[in-house]
Amino acid sequence: MNKKILIVDDDPDIITYTTTVLEENDYKPVIAKNGEEGMNLIKSENPDLIILDVLMPKQSGIKIYRELKTADSYKNIPVIIQSGIAKRTFLRSQEALTEFGGENVPEPDAYLEKPVEPDELIDSIKKLI
Amino acid sequence: MPIKKILYVTEFEELWFDALQALMDLKQAGLNHVIFLHVIDRKEVAMQRGVGYLKSEEVKLKEIANVRFIDWAETLFEEGMEVGAHIVVGNQVPKIVSIAEDEDVDLIVMGHQKKGRIQELYHGSEIMEVIREVSKPVMVYKFLQESGNVNDKPFKRPMLAMDWSPSSMNAVSFLLSIKDIVEKVQVVHVIHHKRLETLKPVEVQKERKENRKKLDELCDRLQSEGIDAEPHLYVGNIIEQLEKAARERKASIIIGGSTGEEPLKKRILGSVPRELSEKSGFPTLFVS
Repeated sequence: MNKKILIVDDDPDIITYTTTVLEENDYKPVIAKNGEEGMNLIKSENPDLIILDVLMPKQSGIKIYRELKTADSYKNIPVIIQSGIAKRTFLRSQEALTEFGGENVPEPDAYLEKPVEPDELIDSIKKLI
Repeated sequence: MPIKKILYVTEFEELWFDALQALMDLKQAGLNHVIFLHVIDRKEVAMQRGVGYLKSEEVKLKEIANVRFIDWAETLFEEGMEVGAHIVVGNQVPKIVSIAEDEDVDLIVMGHQKKGRIQELYHGSEIMEVIREVSKPVMVYKFLQESGNVNDKPFKRPMLAMDWSPSSMNAVSFLLSIKDIVEKVQVVHVIHHKRLETLKPVEVQKERKENRKKLDELCDRLQSEGIDAEPHLYVGNIIEQLEKAARERKASIIIGGSTGEEPLKKRILGSVPRELSEKSGFPTLFVS
């Protein structure tokens, strides 16, 4: 059975591009167009891997990532961050949230800064699932 | 009425990141989430004779906005803030209204720059449409003042324009929600000069006394809630006097109710918020 990959991104062009790359490599993409929808689909679809944008309406990828990695049911789902936001910023924001009293969260399994090449994405996925 | 989430509407003309940073005092009042919104005017990418829809222009304008928002977002993310962004094509007012409601923000911040007469009329009406259509407080932030200085502490010395309407009492609640960043509030009521024309001298004195008593009571309430407050009673043309009071009292912003004494906000917007939002040299914030 094809592995299910949830794409959480608000950019329709990125969704089309990523979906195409995944389908060409026999993965089954599931799409969420904002952070809130993403959280709902994580709960209902139980994906094998999540490709997560950071700067989105409703709920940012930073917050979603924190929710995932602090929830026993989801913390083992591999997450690839695919974003225009720099990795350094992502890590610093997580540090800031930890300092404000949150739990410590691990670094993402992979961090790809946009634009992402198809091979780069597929290689990262293959290392994780 | 905690201010946890704001919608920051920018055309990249009047409001940049420095103006947003000046609003970060609101973190002391609970702010932890900023949503950026840039609306690309449909006219900029609309169909033109022989050309059609300018898709490449839309992509270019979106990318420019995206690069700017990413840079702003990175700074806020690193401070532990939650950030979101919308870059959309369409008409400004309906987009602002729908996104403000959808994101359920606590405050909408818009810019306003004095422009040509025609643009002024058009842009002013956009601001008023937003105030009319949304149930959220709307701040028109004039970051760059006419003097050339910047107003980087807009909530430090607010002036509360009080007309005793339900919406202006809601403005009091708004002030209380940001009390930790308010140094002192000037509470101003203006008696319209035309109202006095029909009154006898003794009735004028009675009117003054009643309003002054209400102002004192309100200031006492604000003081008891932890905000230093000072009452002032003015007489004359309401718009002119509020502007004068704001200048005399060195106000950093004018805060008031958006509906005046009119209950039907959708149909009748108070003339005071309309005039002040469009013409005042001070930032304004109106609460419905």
